[in-house]
Amino acid sequence: MSYLLMQSITKTFPGVIANDEVDLSVERGSIHALLGENGAGKSTLMRILYGMYIPDHGRILLNEQEIRIPNPRAAIRLGIGMVHQEFQLVPSLTVAENIALGYEPRRNGLVDRKTQRLQIEEILARFGFSLPLDKPIAELPVGIQQQVEIIKLLFRKAELLILDEPTSVLTPQEVESLFKVLQTLREQGKTIIYITHKLREVKILCETATILRRGKVVGRVKVADASEKELANLMVGEQVIDQVFPRSQGVGQERLTLKEVSALDDRGVPALKNVSFSLRAGEIVGIAGVQGSGQSELVEAISGLRPVKGEIWLNGRRITRASPRRRREIGLAVIPEKRKEQGLNLSTHILENVVSTRYYKPPFSGWLTLFTRPAERFAARVIAEYNVAAPGVKSMVKNLSGGNQQKVIAGREMIDQPEVLIAAYPTRGLDVGAAQFVREAMVKRRDQGGAILLISADLDELFAVSDRLLILYEGRIVAEKRPDETAFEEVGLYMTGHLHAG
Amino acid sequence: MQAEPSQLEPSSPIPSAVEPKTLSLPPLVSSILRSLFTLLIALWMGALVMWVSGKDPLQAYQALLTTSLGSRTAVANSLLAATPILFTAMAAAVAFRAGIFNVGAEGSLYLGGFAAAWVGFTFTDLPAWLIIPLSFLAAGLVGGLWCYFPAVLRSRLQVDELVTTILLNYVAILFTEYLVNGPFLVPGVANAMSPQIAPAARLPRLLPPSQLNASFLLALAAALAMIYLMTRSKLGYEIRMVGDNPQFARWSGIQVAGVIEKVMVIGGILGGLAGAGQVMGVHYRFIAGFSSGLAFTGMTVALLVRNSPVGALLAALLFGMLRSGSATMEIMTDVPRDLIRVLEATIIFFAAIEFGSLVWRRRRER
Ligand SMILES: Nc1ncnc2c1ncn2[C@@H]1O[C@H](COP(=O)(O)OP(=O)(O)OP(=O)(O)O)[C@@H](O)[C@H]1O
Ligand SMILES: [Mg+2]
Repeated sequence: MSYLLMQSITKTFPGVIANDEVDLSVERGSIHALLGENGAGKSTLMRILYGMYIPDHGRILLNEQEIRIPNPRAAIRLGIGMVHQEFQLVPSLTVAENIALGYEPRRNGLVDRKTQRLQIEEILARFGFSLPLDKPIAELPVGIQQQVEIIKLLFRKAELLILDEPTSVLTPQEVESLFKVLQTLREQGKTIIYITHKLREVKILCETATILRRGKVVGRVKVADASEKELANLMVGEQVIDQVFPRSQGVGQERLTLKEVSALDDRGVPALKNVSFSLRAGEIVGIAGVQGSGQSELVEAISGLRPVKGEIWLNGRRITRASPRRRREIGLAVIPEKRKEQGLNLSTHILENVVSTRYYKPPFSGWLTLFTRPAERFAARVIAEYNVAAPGVKSMVKNLSGGNQQKVIAGREMIDQPEVLIAAYPTRGLDVGAAQFVREAMVKRRDQGGAILLISADLDELFAVSDRLLILYEGRIVAEKRPDETAFEEVGLYMTGHLHAG
Repeated sequence: MQAEPSQLEPSSPIPSAVEPKTLSLPPLVSSILRSLFTLLIALWMGALVMWVSGKDPLQAYQALLTTSLGSRTAVANSLLAATPILFTAMAAAVAFRAGIFNVGAEGSLYLGGFAAAWVGFTFTDLPAWLIIPLSFLAAGLVGGLWCYFPAVLRSRLQVDELVTTILLNYVAILFTEYLVNGPFLVPGVANAMSPQIAPAARLPRLLPPSQLNASFLLALAAALAMIYLMTRSKLGYEIRMVGDNPQFARWSGIQVAGVIEKVMVIGGILGGLAGAGQVMGVHYRFIAGFSSGLAFTGMTVALLVRNSPVGALLAALLFGMLRSGSATMEIMTDVPRDLIRVLEATIIFFAAIEFGSLVWRRRRER
C-alpha cells in the first residue's frame, strides 16, 4: 500500500472542474512529480491535501487510514506541510522566529526561547542545513527564504512535504542547493510531492510522476522509463516542443539606448553602475545574472519607475525623465517581474486587468467615459490568443491558476506588437506549451522588427532565444556574448564574478 | 489562542491563497447584506442603551420613524438633513476607494461656506441667476483648492494626508471664526456671524414650511455624478486600480500622484458645495462652527456601505432621516437625540473592524 492515496477527488469551482475524479498515490520516502499544463488542477489538488479546499467528493488515505483535512492546521497535525509559491514569512522577524511562528514551544504559557533554539538547531544539524538564525527574513535572498520555509515544515514535524513550483523563483545555483536539500530529506525518509513545469528537474529528482490534464489524470509513469519528450507529450498532447529558434535575420536601427545609467536600490545602495547598451530593431538581447545583480532596477529604470543618472533613449527620444505612460506611448511595453504585485490587480477581473495600459485612448474610451464593448472584445482576444483558461472576461484574476495569470500579463503586453518589449521572466510559471508559445511570440515579433530585452533566470531560455547576451554582475555589465559562441559554464563564471571582461 | 501563521502576514497586499470557506454570494449581494447587518447591530445597540437607561426602545424607534417619514414635512426635513451628508459621504466614498483618507472636506466645508456667504453679502446687486451659481462656484473653488495643498504634499512628498487634513481642518475652522469675529464682524450682532446674504442669493425652498431647498437637488446631482464617475468613467477606473493596487497602477502607466490629487480635490469641491448649500439654503449667513463634523458623518456613511457610491447615496438619505427624526423624537419621547450618536458610533466600530484593518495594512505597505 502507498503512503498517501487520494481517490477520485473532485473539486469544482463556478464554471470550472478543477479536479475530476483524480487518483494519486505516493510511496513513502520518494519524490513524486505532479505535472500538467497551466490550469490542469495541480495546485488545487495540493490545496485539498493541505486542507485549504474541501473536495466535493473523494477519499484521502494516509498510512492506510482514511483522513479528513478540514483546514491547514489539521494537515499540519497529520504531518502534511506545503511550501507555497508566495512565501508565507514575516519579513521583519528573524529566521528562527519565522521557523517557530505559531508553534513555539511554551513553558508556563510563555514562549520558551531556549528550547525553541535547541529544537531548531537540532533539525538543522540533522538535515545538514546552515541558516543565519538571527537575521531578519527581509535581508535574505529568495533561495534562503525558501529553505526557511522548508525548515518551518520540518519544525512542525511534517512527514509529507508539498512544493508548488519551488524553482520558478530561484537562480540555477539556488536550484542546485534546493535539490541537495530535497535529496537529503528523501534519504531521511520524508515524502515529497513536487509540482513543476521543468522536465529536467523531474528527471533529476523524481521517481514517479502523475500527469494531469484539464483536471483528469492522463498518466502515471516511472520517471526512469520515460524521456523528457514523452513526459512533455503526456502533459500538453502531441505538440512540437522545439527549443531551437532561428537567430536574428539582421538588425535595424537603435530602439532603446542606455548611456552610463546608474541607479540606487530601495535601500539607497548603488544597484546599477554605469550601464550602457543599446537594443536594436530585430534583435532579442538577453540579460543574464544571478538574482539581485540589478535586474529589477534595470527594468524599473527603463520603465520609468526608478530615477536614474545617465541617459535613456527610446525610439530616438530622450526619456530619462519621462513618465511610464509617456514611455509606453512611444513604443515601450513591459512584462514586470512580480506577477501579483506589479503585473496584476488581483481584486478585479481579467477585463480590467488587460485594459490597464490602454484604457485611456480610443476605442476603449471617449474623453470621459470608458466603453465596455471594446474592452470586452479586447479581453476576449487576449484570452483566445494566449489560451487563458478562464470561464470568461469577467473572471476574477485571483481565481486563475498561476500560469494563466502570467498569460494575462503576457497577452496584455505583447498582443499589440510593441516596438520595444522589456520582458522580465515572461515564462515564469508557464507550462512547456505556453512557454514555447511566448518564446515563439517573442521571436516572431523580433523577426517583424521588434526589439526585445529578455531578463530571465533560465539559462536554457536565454540561450535559446537571445541573439546577444549581456551578463550583469553587481550592477555592471561585465560581458557581452553571442549564445552560439559561448557556453553555460562561461556565462556562469561571469555571472558569479569569477571572470571579467577584457 | 494561536493565530494560523499562514494568515498572519501575507507578503503582498493580497491575502494568502487560503480562502475562507464561507457560502459564496455574489459580491454585491454579500456587501449589501453586510451593510444591513451592521445597521441592524447598530439599531440593536441603540435599543440596548435605551433599555439600560429605562426608556422604551420600540416606542422610540417608532417615534423616530414617524417623525422622519410620517408626513410630507417630515420627509422634507429628512431630505434637508441628508443634503450636506450626501456631499460629504460621496467625497469620503471616492477618496476611500482610492485608498485615501481625506478628512479635509470638513475644512473645505467651512471655507466654501464662507466663500459663498462672502459672495452673497458682497455682490448684493446681482440677480439670482447669477449670484447663486457664482456663490457655488466660489465655494467649490475654495473648497477644492483647500484640499489641493494636502493632496500635493501627499502625492509628491508622501506626507500622510490623514494628519495634514486633520490639522488643516482646525486651521480652516479657526480662520473662518476669526473672519466673522474680525474683518467681517457685524456690529450689533452678539456672536460670530457674517452679514446676511442678499435675498437673491437665497436658495428657493422646495416644500415649505420645511427648510428643504434647492441645494438638495444639487447634492443629488452631485451624488449621481459621482456614481457615474466611479462606475463608468476613466477617472473612476483609475481610482479603483490605484485603490486596489497602487503598484500595479504605476506599472501600467497610471499617474498615481495625479489620481490622488484629483480625488482629494474632488473631496474638497464637494465639501465646499456642502458648506455653500447650508449657508445659502438654511442659515442665509455664515455662522462660525456651523458644521459640527458633517465630513465625519460622511465618512461613517462611506464606511457603512464600503465605499459603494450607490450605497453611499442611499445611506446618506437614511442618515438624514435618523438625524432629523432624532431631533423631534427627543421632544416627543424624552430619548435624547444623542441616540443617533450611539448608532453612528456602533456603525463606525463595526465597519472599522473589517475595513480599517484592511486599509491599515495597505497604508503601512506603501
Ligand atoms: N478559488 C478558485 N475559484 C475559481 N476557480 C479556481 C479557483 N482556484 C482554481 N480555480 C480554477 O481551477 C483550475 C485549476 O487551477 P490550478 O490552480 O489548480 O491549476 P494549476 O495546475 O496549478 O496551474 P498552474 O500550472 O498554472 O499553476 C483553473 O482553471 C483555475 O482557474
Ligand atoms: Mg499552480
